[in-house]
Amino acid sequence: MATHQEITESLKAFAQEYSKNQRLKTMNRDWDRAVLILADDIESAHTLVLKGGELSFSQGKAAEPDLTVISNSEILADMFFGDITPTEPYMNGTLRIIGPEDDILRLDFISLLIWGE
Amino acid sequence: MKRVVSVSLGSSRRDHHVNTVLLGEEFEISRRGTDGDFERAIALLGELDGNVDAIGLGGIDLYLYAGRTRYAVSDGLKLVHAVKKTPVVDGSGLKNTLERETIYYLRKHTGLLPPGCKVLMVSAVDRFGMAEALVELGCEMTFGDLIFAAGIPYPIKTLQELEEIAHKTLPEMVKLPFHMLYPTGKKQDIQDENKVEKFGHYYHGADVIAGDYHLVRRCMPGNLRGQMVITNTTTREDVEFLKKKGVGRLVTTTPEYGGRSFGTNVMEAVMVVLLGKRWEDITPKDYLDLMGRLDLKPRLLEL
Repeated sequence: MATHQEITESLKAFAQEYSKNQRLKTMNRDWDRAVLILADDIESAHTLVLKGGELSFSQGKAAEPDLTVISNSEILADMFFGDITPTEPYMNGTLRIIGPEDDILRLDFISLLIWGE
Repeated sequence: MKRVVSVSLGSSRRDHHVNTVLLGEEFEISRRGTDGDFERAIALLGELDGNVDAIGLGGIDLYLYAGRTRYAVSDGLKLVHAVKKTPVVDGSGLKNTLERETIYYLRKHTGLLPPGCKVLMVSAVDRFGMAEALVELGCEMTFGDLIFAAGIPYPIKTLQELEEIAHKTLPEMVKLPFHMLYPTGKKQDIQDENKVEKFGHYYHGADVIAGDYHLVRRCMPGNLRGQMVITNTTTREDVEFLKKKGVGRLVTTTPEYGGRSFGTNVMEAVMVVLLGKRWEDITPKDYLDLMGRLDLKPRLLEL
């Protein structure tokens, strides 16, 4: 089990990697979304906000989400640290993403373009 | 009589049946769509296994390519594993040869692909051979893999960047349900109006639009200015659709039988029967030689 703090750190690492990637910012210029990240085994909520290609995050539920990502704290931390990809937990049901399928796919792409080999 | 059946995850509205003679061998070729129903496709494959001479898999790829690396599509493998006795192919073996040759043919025998012409290839990882041939001939490429598969408005301009992005994303993408990456079933009968509006300008800006027909169709805007479309499977309705959109010329990589061009999976299944070899043992040269004997040429249609 990861802590709320560890999830925060993982999101920080994710946001830092994203900010270094100019191509990803270009790709996402059109995609303004609020993504709520919820752990289902501890009290933990974060909000990722994509706006004009820039990505930021905050603790707690900061906006009405377009997408909601729910999993256990360990998976969330591992995923945002890039230790695992979202595909496997998504396919085996331990990671749930609520939102339009196109947005789910796009979020997956962003994660792979940050952390992919 | 040899029987070849294409089982497709696509719409059953496109089902077709034809009898033909190839190199003196009688063939009954049919296509059976399962409207995106994966379980129905598995059941149908089980029924056909051992009762036909070859099976083609349509509406899905077994492999996606980035350069020399190929990535197996999980859903495609599940379908293949439902077949134990009959040779089963998805067209990827033939695509690399046939579609390359189509591009070379157009350069050599027509003035339709001059160096520097602007080509929108809606997806290249499913037909990397065609992409390489177009680059080799000096076309100005826009690869739409991210645009049309993921909705990311980022045109990829070089094979190098395509490969780099593909190597990062494909190893995981191929594990997702195929319908998340490609229109299957009823989605093949309708256009994605949001994407038509958002991405239609890529079509307007191109001289040539190339790639999988369903991807080409799904986001195609109206008021095109007579561009050429290079694709695979088209029915009479598809030809009418393209004409209405303002397409000027259609090139299909597979020949016409009974008013439509079949998919490469069907042609590859027919070739496997004619070659009488195991699929794994068939080389690009085998396909090339057979294409020569069959006098296979792309179909060019003025619309």
